[in-house]
Amino acid sequence: MDDTIQYELKKNLTQKVAFGAVTLFSVAIVGILVVILSFIIIKGVGVINWEFLSTAPTDGMTKGGIFPAIVGTFYLILGSALFAFPVGIMSGIYMNEYAPKGFVLRFIRTMTNNLSGIPSIVFGLFGMAFFVKQLNFGTSIVAGSLTLGLLCLPLIIRTTEEALKAIPDSYREGSRALGATKLQTLFRVILPMGMPNIVTGLILSVGRVSGETAPILFTCAAFFLPQLPTGIFDQVMALPYHLYVIATSGGDLEAQRPIAYGTALVLIILVLLINLLATVVRRYFAKKLK
Amino acid sequence: MRTKILAVICTVALFAQAIMAQSIKGSDTALPLTQKAAEAYMKANKGAKITVTGGGSGVGITALLDGTTDIAMSSRKMKFDEKSKFQQGGKTVVEKVIAYDALAVIVNPANKVNQLTRQQLEDIYTGKVKNWKEVGGDDVAIVVYSRETSSGTYEFFKEQILKNKNYMSSVLSMPATGAIMQSVSQTKGAIGYVGLAYLNSSVKALKVSYDGKNFVAPSVENAQNKTYPIVRPLFFYFEKKSEAKVSPFITFMLSPEGQKIVKQEGYIPLQ
Amino acid sequence: MRNRAEKLVESLFTISGFVTSIVIVLVVVFLFSGGVHLFRSPSIEHGYVVAVNADNPIDRLSPAELKSIFDYEQTNWQQFGGADEEILVFRLNDITNYFSEEDLGENFEFVSERISQLISENQGIIAFIPQEYAGENFSGKEIDGGTISLSEVFGGKEWLPTATPAPLFGLLPLITGTLWVSFFAILIALPFGLSVSIFMSEVASERVRGILKPVIELLSGIPSVVYGFFGLVVVVPLVQQIFNLDVGETGLTGSLILAIMALPTIITVSEDAMRNCPRAMREASLSLGANRWQTTYKVVIPYSISGITSGVVLGIGRAMGETMAVLMVTGNSAVIPHTILQPLRTIPATIAAELGEVSSGSPHYQALFVLGIILFVITFAINMCVASISAKHKNS
Repeated sequence: MDDTIQYELKKNLTQKVAFGAVTLFSVAIVGILVVILSFIIIKGVGVINWEFLSTAPTDGMTKGGIFPAIVGTFYLILGSALFAFPVGIMSGIYMNEYAPKGFVLRFIRTMTNNLSGIPSIVFGLFGMAFFVKQLNFGTSIVAGSLTLGLLCLPLIIRTTEEALKAIPDSYREGSRALGATKLQTLFRVILPMGMPNIVTGLILSVGRVSGETAPILFTCAAFFLPQLPTGIFDQVMALPYHLYVIATSGGDLEAQRPIAYGTALVLIILVLLINLLATVVRRYFAKKLK
Repeated sequence: MRTKILAVICTVALFAQAIMAQSIKGSDTALPLTQKAAEAYMKANKGAKITVTGGGSGVGITALLDGTTDIAMSSRKMKFDEKSKFQQGGKTVVEKVIAYDALAVIVNPANKVNQLTRQQLEDIYTGKVKNWKEVGGDDVAIVVYSRETSSGTYEFFKEQILKNKNYMSSVLSMPATGAIMQSVSQTKGAIGYVGLAYLNSSVKALKVSYDGKNFVAPSVENAQNKTYPIVRPLFFYFEKKSEAKVSPFITFMLSPEGQKIVKQEGYIPLQ
Repeated sequence: MRNRAEKLVESLFTISGFVTSIVIVLVVVFLFSGGVHLFRSPSIEHGYVVAVNADNPIDRLSPAELKSIFDYEQTNWQQFGGADEEILVFRLNDITNYFSEEDLGENFEFVSERISQLISENQGIIAFIPQEYAGENFSGKEIDGGTISLSEVFGGKEWLPTATPAPLFGLLPLITGTLWVSFFAILIALPFGLSVSIFMSEVASERVRGILKPVIELLSGIPSVVYGFFGLVVVVPLVQQIFNLDVGETGLTGSLILAIMALPTIITVSEDAMRNCPRAMREASLSLGANRWQTTYKVVIPYSISGITSGVVLGIGRAMGETMAVLMVTGNSAVIPHTILQPLRTIPATIAAELGEVSSGSPHYQALFVLGIILFVITFAINMCVASISAKHKNS
């Protein structure tokens, strides 16, 4: 009898210890995020003002703002979206609605997974060899945008496919039974229903694009440009690359530090906003559908 | 619709070409200098447009070869295989020295050592000397910082100080000069090398001697009167056929006014 | 009309469907075409020759041997099977030590004659000179450096891509560096990752989970360059102080940052797997008297082990390919690491740091593409691994 009680006690103690430990680790994760965020926010918040956001760097990067980098990142987002959004969504549609189940689908899915696993520096290497050299785009917005577009393609494809998969076949059958063609069904019924999740995926892919450095190192990023890019074959400055540059090079690191903190904070805010937007979109559409 | 978009893209691209009267690309060492000079030049000559971008000496020369830049800045002489590529492409390249840059050897301010000979530097960078006490300092391990293998600065230091021997493999390579400054100012046993223009109070610059007798501190004056030994030229390369296009700016760069900017920025003027 | 439009749209879908496969093929083609010629290019720098006295019995020298000679590590020809003769190293710049400017001519027109003369006069000389000076009537014997060999690249311990006369592309330090950093990153991330996924799937209430989920998403959303910057200004000095090291830029610093970056992948995938454990199995376990912890580690974890493994493997892939953060904090010194507390250098960091300044098409450029191929192959293998794990799981 004693043994059983002891066993029960021990059993519950182990559970307490184990669950206590996993809780502790989870709290630690939150702690790490809080430390990183608050460090950058505290150091960077004093730097950010309208002038910082709206002027170009001056005096060898030690003064002035990061306006060209913000604009550059915006261009890159736009450029990659122009390419990756339609292609990604269409690819997702093909996989869920058209692709023959079995080998073809498995093959495409594996390839998409493989693409998403390729390190970003390899994308950079490929972008330089293919877009910059082979297609002769030079280091330019086009080359950078396309490289970034390829990078976020798997994410868009996967979210689109999942979004469409979640829609029950009865809707498709109902629509077809009413005499709609497959394409009409797709555009009138399936896509509107899948939209919330697709849009969320798109927004998250924008987040990915805006933070990547390695793919743009050799395809489009510029250290400093005296004026904004005037064409798609110009180089651009971009936020993540700008942070890298002012954190590691330049004449006067001490004077550059505040700008580095400011740039890091702007990047973090961008990521926060994008995540928030994704959540809001998801909730808004979910409510609307109900 | 599609042709319309294409037309828009083409005009935008053409427009861009027309505005970009001149582009200069290359060495990060020469970048701040060229940038300042370009700003001054554009102020004096309304309508002139000069775009200056970095990327490294190799990037500049490759861009010149590809015809995507008008002038390549370089902190090293063009390599043999690069020259032969220009020859193969039927292009003649003109080389102009626009300024000199001195390399300063830096250590942590807390380091007792004030001067080193070239031989000592060579021994440190090739790994023969591993502790500061062997060269008159405290008993602290030497942490050796260097630039990335492909930078012009790395090559120049190797030629001048190491007499073409290879760096030991355990040197810490930093992607940029700023990172070397940062690390040396943080690390007690550190040694590194940076362009004269980068020096500030967070690090200590060492006096250097080639003959073991006269130790000279790195400064613009000492580099100009040739007593400081680690000095290298900075080059502009351009194609012979675009000489008319680029020569106004280069003339400005070499003029007394241009050379004044050279001095202001911490580089060494030609005269 | 409508039918044709529909066909057109459908074929657009189909093409898009294969876009990822096409991209993969393109990546493979261009990585390989960038790197494949490395093993066919001559070891000795393009446009130069290494020459010895005509009577010297040595015909071939490997890049490593050339390096040891030109670094003055080996000073006698006996070491290489030649005569007992001091080695005299000669580079073009040394020519002024032997001849006056008059000897060389006003426009250096006699340089090639003088070099030829110098080589014939010195039994032990080895000269590294531009090809143009070794033309007709050249008295010396050219050394055959051979082509860059597979074994030198994959077995070489020295990464000196700009060494003259012959660069050394030994990949061992870079490969081991990458493996070490990722291994320790996973070692650090594993307890955290497992704990958090257990907490989220087994312990936390829906509300707490609703807080943790965005935290994880944010951790994965923070750009790697921000992690690198944070590492540079906070973790590097911290590691240096805590372990009382000479330098703070060490493998461990990289591993710590990578661990944080790999965590979201591990957590998301393994939590997913744990939550997929059928309710019936949990209830069966609980009704037999097992408590929640026993159910977790006797039922849930074994059930979801393949998912957890996938998560960890994917995490390793993420850590190995990470570039910017590692470039900024590991010190990038190309040595085979003996402890994690010393600076080291990874494959992605090498590509990022060096590609910018190499001359396009040179052996160094190609060697960087070979590094890209290695990274690609590793991550490809990792993904195939994960795919086969989950396929197996579905079958059983």
